[in-house]
Amino acid sequence: MIRKAQLIGVVAALALVAAACSPATTTSSSTTTAATTPTTQAPVATTTTEGTTPIEDKVLIIGTTDAISSLDGSDAYAVHDWELLKNIGEGLLVWEPGSGDKLKPGAAQDFGTFSDDGLSYTIKLKPGLVFGDGTPLTAQAYADQINERLLVLEGSGGVGPALGQPYVASVEALDDVTVKFNLTGTWGFFEQLLAGAPYIPLNPTQFPAGSSAALVEFPDAPIYGNGPFYIDSYVLGEQTVLKPNPNYQGDRVPHVGTVIIRYFGNPQAMAEAVQAGEIDVAWRILGPELLAQLEGSDLHVETISGGAIRYLILNHAAGFVTADPNVNKALASLIDRDDLSDRVFGGFVEPLYSPVPPGFLGATDVFDDVYGSPNVDAAKAFLAASGYTADNPLQLQVAYPPEHYGGTVADAMQVLKEQFEASGAIQVELVAQEWSTYIGAVIGGADYSVSLLGWFYDYPDPDNYISPFVSNGGLGTMITDPDTNAGINATAQEIVDLMAEAASSGDQTERAALYDEIQKLYADLVVTLPMWFEAEHVVYRDGVSGDAAFGSLDQLNIGGTIEFNYATVSVD
Amino acid sequence: MHPLTITFLILGVPALAALVYIYARGSSALRRYVTTRILLTLPMILILASVVFFVLRVLPGDPVTSSLGPKGSPEVKEQLRENLGLNDPILVQYVRFLGDIVTLDFGNAMTSGQRPIADELGERFPATIELIVPSAILALSIGLLFGTAAALRRKRASDYSMRLYSVVIYAMPVFWLGLIFQLIFGVRLGWLPTGGRIDAVIGSGLPRVTNILTIDSILAGDWQAFGSTMSHLVLPTLTLGLILSGVFLRLTRINVIEVSQEDYIAAARARGIKEFVVRYKHSLKNAMIPVITLIGLQVAILLGGAVLTETVFSWPGMGRYLVDRISSRDFTAVQSSVAMFAMFVALISLAVDILYSLLDPRVKY
Amino acid sequence: MSTDLESRPEASAPLPGGWQDDLANVGLIRRLLLGRRWYGADWWFVAIATAMVMAFFFLGAFPQSVAPFDPTVQVGARFLAPGETPDQDVLIFHVGSDAKVLADLASEDRIPAGVVRGTPSSEAIRDEADRVSREMADTGRPGEVRLKIVRFDLLSEALDALDSGDVLMVASSSVEFEALAADHPDLFMAGPIHPETGSGQSFLLGTNQIGQDVFSRVIWGTRVSLLIGFASAFFSLVLGVPLGLIAGFRGGKFDRALTMVMDSLYAFPGLILAIAITAVLGPSMFNIILAIAVLYIPTYYRIVRGQTLTTKESLFVEAATSLGAKTRVILGKYIYPNVIPSVAIIFSVNVADAILTGAGLSFLGLGLPPTIPDWGIDIARGVTTMQSSWWIITFPGIAVVLVVLAFTLLGEGLMEIFNPKLRDR
Repeated sequence: MIRKAQLIGVVAALALVAAACSPATTTSSSTTTAATTPTTQAPVATTTTEGTTPIEDKVLIIGTTDAISSLDGSDAYAVHDWELLKNIGEGLLVWEPGSGDKLKPGAAQDFGTFSDDGLSYTIKLKPGLVFGDGTPLTAQAYADQINERLLVLEGSGGVGPALGQPYVASVEALDDVTVKFNLTGTWGFFEQLLAGAPYIPLNPTQFPAGSSAALVEFPDAPIYGNGPFYIDSYVLGEQTVLKPNPNYQGDRVPHVGTVIIRYFGNPQAMAEAVQAGEIDVAWRILGPELLAQLEGSDLHVETISGGAIRYLILNHAAGFVTADPNVNKALASLIDRDDLSDRVFGGFVEPLYSPVPPGFLGATDVFDDVYGSPNVDAAKAFLAASGYTADNPLQLQVAYPPEHYGGTVADAMQVLKEQFEASGAIQVELVAQEWSTYIGAVIGGADYSVSLLGWFYDYPDPDNYISPFVSNGGLGTMITDPDTNAGINATAQEIVDLMAEAASSGDQTERAALYDEIQKLYADLVVTLPMWFEAEHVVYRDGVSGDAAFGSLDQLNIGGTIEFNYATVSVD
Repeated sequence: MHPLTITFLILGVPALAALVYIYARGSSALRRYVTTRILLTLPMILILASVVFFVLRVLPGDPVTSSLGPKGSPEVKEQLRENLGLNDPILVQYVRFLGDIVTLDFGNAMTSGQRPIADELGERFPATIELIVPSAILALSIGLLFGTAAALRRKRASDYSMRLYSVVIYAMPVFWLGLIFQLIFGVRLGWLPTGGRIDAVIGSGLPRVTNILTIDSILAGDWQAFGSTMSHLVLPTLTLGLILSGVFLRLTRINVIEVSQEDYIAAARARGIKEFVVRYKHSLKNAMIPVITLIGLQVAILLGGAVLTETVFSWPGMGRYLVDRISSRDFTAVQSSVAMFAMFVALISLAVDILYSLLDPRVKY
Repeated sequence: MSTDLESRPEASAPLPGGWQDDLANVGLIRRLLLGRRWYGADWWFVAIATAMVMAFFFLGAFPQSVAPFDPTVQVGARFLAPGETPDQDVLIFHVGSDAKVLADLASEDRIPAGVVRGTPSSEAIRDEADRVSREMADTGRPGEVRLKIVRFDLLSEALDALDSGDVLMVASSSVEFEALAADHPDLFMAGPIHPETGSGQSFLLGTNQIGQDVFSRVIWGTRVSLLIGFASAFFSLVLGVPLGLIAGFRGGKFDRALTMVMDSLYAFPGLILAIAITAVLGPSMFNIILAIAVLYIPTYYRIVRGQTLTTKESLFVEAATSLGAKTRVILGKYIYPNVIPSVAIIFSVNVADAILTGAGLSFLGLGLPPTIPDWGIDIARGVTTMQSSWWIITFPGIAVVLVVLAFTLLGEGLMEIFNPKLRDR
C-alpha cells in the first residue's frame, strides 16, 4: 500500500513540476515581445500618451474562435477571412471604422459616379498607390483582377464570384487611376458591395490575373496588400501575426507594432484565456453563458449590434402544412421572442421583428405591429379557422441543425416547442439533422415545413436581407418558382416587383419607403419568421482602447458592419 | 522533410529495428510469419479506405453545399462541384483516390481553402501522436505497476481498492473526466491551461520541424516553449491515460495471478529464488505478454478516446479534424485521414505482433 | 473491457468435473446464486452490481415515480444551484409615476420595462404581465399589459434609466435593489412578482440553463441510456454470435474473409465509425442504436469464433460428428451452450460500453434531439457554463459512471463465476 501511495505521489509531483515550468497565466504583451522583430520604418501613430512602451514594441493579442478558410479575396466568404482581408487591404470605398452605415473613400480619391442610366460606375484611385512590397497598384491591374478573378466562374473555383458575377459585367481601366464598372443592372447598393472584401485590390505578384489566375487560398507569408497591415506569418488553427505595412497611405494608422490573432477551438477556452490575461481581446462568438460570466469580472464586455439573424423558414409549397396562411399566422402570433432571448440566451440576443435587423435602411418592427406576439388567443383563432383544435391538433415538424449554430440552438428549439404548443392545438416534433444533410434539404424545399436558418449579410443593405428569401425559391420558402422567379400568389408577386424597384433605385429615401411597404407584405405572408438577431460581443481587458479619432470607442470602433480594424486599437 | 514522414519514422524505428533483427537473425519460420503479417495489413487498409470512400458518396450532402450553406447561386455551386471533380464518374474518383493513397500524396482538401491534405495531416497527426503516446505510456505504467501490486496482495484491501479503481475509472466517460479536470485544475485552482497545445505568444517564435511541439522545442533549445507545451499536455494526457489505465490494470492483475499459479513459478520458489525476484522477474515478465497484445487492440480505443479528449481540450489533432471534416463532407480529407488511421493502427499492431513473437517463444506462426 | 477475454479465449472454456457440472445444469439466475457458494468473499461484488442494475431498471421503467418534475419544461429560475432558494423578485417604480401596481400601466402600447440580462426577474416580469392581463380580462377591466423589454448589463444602469424616465419600471431581485436603493431615493419597490413557475422554490440538484430540473433530467436520462445500451448490445449479439459460430465451425475461405473484415472493423476507432454512421443515417434514437451495434459485432464474433474453434476440437463434438449429427444440431446443441457464459459476460460489458459510446456521440452533438432527456446532451450543453454552474455537468456525469459501473461490475462478477481459475485455489 505504501508503495502505491508513493507512486501516486510521484505522478502528482510530475504534474506539478510540468505545471510550474510554464505559468499558465503569462501576462501577455509586455513580456513576450522578444520573439518579434519590430518594423521600424512602418508608419505608426506618434501619440504615445498611453505609456512608455514604444509603439513598435506593443503587441495586441486578439483571440477568436473563427478560422481562416481562405486568404484569396476572390474566394473568401467567411467573416474572419473578410476581417483579415480588410486589415491587410483597403477597398476603393471603405466603411468608416465604428459606423454601421457610413461609407467613405479608401483607396479611391472620392466616391465614384453612376452613369445616367445607372448601368456603369466610374471611380478614381488615389495616384501612386503601392502594395506593401512595392508593387504598384494601377487601374489596369485592378481591372484585370476583377475581370479575371472575380467575374470568371470557370477555373477560378472561388466563392467570391457569387458577389461579383451577378452584379458586374466587366471592368475597364480608363487611364492609370480611373476604373469603370459596367454593371449588369441598376444596383442601388453597388457602393456597399464595392466596400466588401471581394473588391479589395489584390497584390498581383501573389494573386496573378490573366491565364495563370488560379486561386491562392493560402499564399506564402509575408502577404502584402494595400492596407494598414501585412501578414508576417500564419499557422492555421494557431495564429496569424500582422505587422504594420510600411507603404500604407490611408488614415487607419496602426497603434501597435504587432498584432497576433490567436485561434481557439472553443469559446470556453477563449473566455478563460481572456480572463487569465493571455489575450487582450476576445472577439466574436462567446455565447450568452460565457458572456454573463465575463460580465462579472473586471473585463469590458461590449455589445455590437450585429448583422447575424436567425429565423424560421416556412415552406409555402403545396403539400406542406405551412402552405396554409392561417398556420403561418398562428405561428407568427405564438412566438415569444422575449422569452427566447431571456430564457435561452440570458438576454444576450435581441428579439427580431422584421427580416431586416434594426439599424439597416428602412427596418421596422413589422411583425410586432401585425401580430403583437405572443398572442395565444389570436393564434387559436387562426388555427381554428383551418380546423385545428385541441382535439384535432396540427402536427408540425420543426427541423434544425443541432451543431452548426452552436449548442444554444437546441435549447431555443425546446423553448420554441413549448411556445407553439401553448396554443393547445399544435403538436411539435423537433427534427435534429446534421448540417450537411440539413442545408441541402432546406434549400431544396422538399423535406421540411419549418426549418431554422441563420443569415449574415454579404453587403449591408436591406436588399440582402430580403431578396434571398424571396427570389428563385427563396432558400426553401418556395414563395417563388425557383426557375421563373414568379410569385406563388399575388402578394408574393408584389414583393418580387417591389424588390426589383427598390434594388434599382438610387434614392435612399425612396428605397426606405419601398422596403417599408415590402416588410408589411412580407409579414402578412409570413415568408420567413424572424426570431432574433445576434449582437456580436467584444471582450477586452483594461488598457485596451479604441482610437478617439473614430466612432465608438468603448466598442473598439467595431461598428454595425462588424468590422474590426486592428489599426484603431491600442494597448498600454 | 515533411512532418508526417518524420512522425512515422519516429514511430516506426522500433518496428524497423525489430524487422531488421528478424530478417537478419530470426528463424525462417519467423521470417515467413512476419512477411505474411505485413502482406496481410495491406488488404486491411484497402478494405477500410474503400468502405469509407463509398460510404461518403452515399452520404447526403456534399462539400460545396455544406460550406456555402444558404449562400451562393446554384450556378456558382455547380461550377465549384465541377472544379472539385465531384461530377466525375464515381469509378474515376475511386481510381484517383487509390492513386493518391499509393503515391502517399493524398491530393487536396475540398473545403477550407483546399490545402494539400498532406500539409493538413502534417499538422494534425503529430498533434495526436503527442497526445496519445504519453497517454499510452501513463496508462501502461499505472496498469503494470498497480496491477502487479494488486495481484500479489490478493483479497486484501489494497487489491480491492485497485480493482475498484480500475472499474470506476473505466466507467467514466472520457470527456466528462476531462471536463472535471478542467473544472478543478484549470478553473478552480488555476494551475494548468485547459486548452490548446502551446501558449500563442511563445508558440509564435517556435520553428516547426516535426510539429510534435515537445520535440520541436527541444530541437530549438527553447525551454520556455518546452515548459508551455508540457503544461498544456498535463490535463489531456492525464485524462486519456487514466481512462485507459483501468483496462491495463485489470489485465495485468489477472495475468499475474494466472502466471503465479503456474508450475514454473512454484518451481522457482522451491529452488529458493528470492521472493522479490520471483514476483517481479518471473511473474511480471510472463504476465506482460498478453498485456502487450492488448496495446495493439487498445490503439483503436485510444484514437476514439482521443476524439473526445481533443474536443474537450481544443487540441488540434486528428480526431477533431476527422469529425469536423465528416460534418463538412470534405471527402478527400476524410478518406485520407481514415487511410492514415488504418496505416497507423496496422503499423502498431504489426509492431506488437512482432514484439510478441520475439518475446513469447511458444507462439505459433 | 472484453479485450482481456479475447487475449485468452480458452480461459472460459468449461472445465470438467466437480461443482462445475452442477453449475452447468442450472439456469443463469440459479447459477448466479449457486456461484455465491464457491465465490468466497467476492459474492457481494455481484450482489451490489445486481442491486444497482435492478435499481436502474426501475428508474428507467418508472422515472415518473421518482422524478418530481417533467424534465422537458421549465420549472424554475435558470442556473439555480443545488438547494439554492431564488431571491424574491420585485417591480420597481418611480415615485413620479402614478402607477402603484402593474395594472395601472395598462395601455395600448408596449410599456418600456428595464431588466438586467440573464437575471430570473427578466423572465418573471413577463409572467407577471400575462397574469395581470388575464386578471384584468377576467374582471372586465379594459386594456392589457404588454411590455417592451429593455435589457441592461447592470442593475445600476437600469435604475438610472428609470430615474430618467426611459423605462417606466424595472424588475429585479429585492436583495439587489435594496443594496442600491440608497442611491435612488425616488424609486420604490411596488411589490413582489409571482412568477408562474417555481416561485421561491429550490431544487435538489439545481436547475439547468433553461430552468429545467437537473434531478428530473438525470432520472429520466436513465431510460434513454438503458434503451441505447440494451438495444444496441442486443443487435450486436444477434448478428455477432451466429456469424462467429458459423465462421468458427465452417472455417475455410468464408472464415478468413469474414475474419479480415471483422478485424478491420475492430481495428478502426469505434467512435469515429459511429460518427460516420450517424452522419449517413441521420440522428435518431434508432440510428444511434444501429451505429453502436455495428461497433460491437466484431467483439462477439471474435470471441465466439475463438471458442467455437476450441470446442470443435473437443472429444464430445468429434464424437457427435462421427455419429453423423447435422451441422445445425452440433452448433445448436453442443457448441452454442459452451459459448453462452462468455457471451453473457461480453453482453454485460457491451451494455456498459454502448452507454459510454452513446454519451460520447451525444456529447459531440450527434446524438438525440434535445427534447429527449439524455446525459450526454446535458453534459455537452453544460460545458459553456461549467465555470459558474458546476452542477449541470457533474450530476449527469455521475449518473453515467454509476450505470456503466453497475454493468461492468456485473460483467466482472460473472467472469469470476464462469472463469473459476481466477478464484483462490
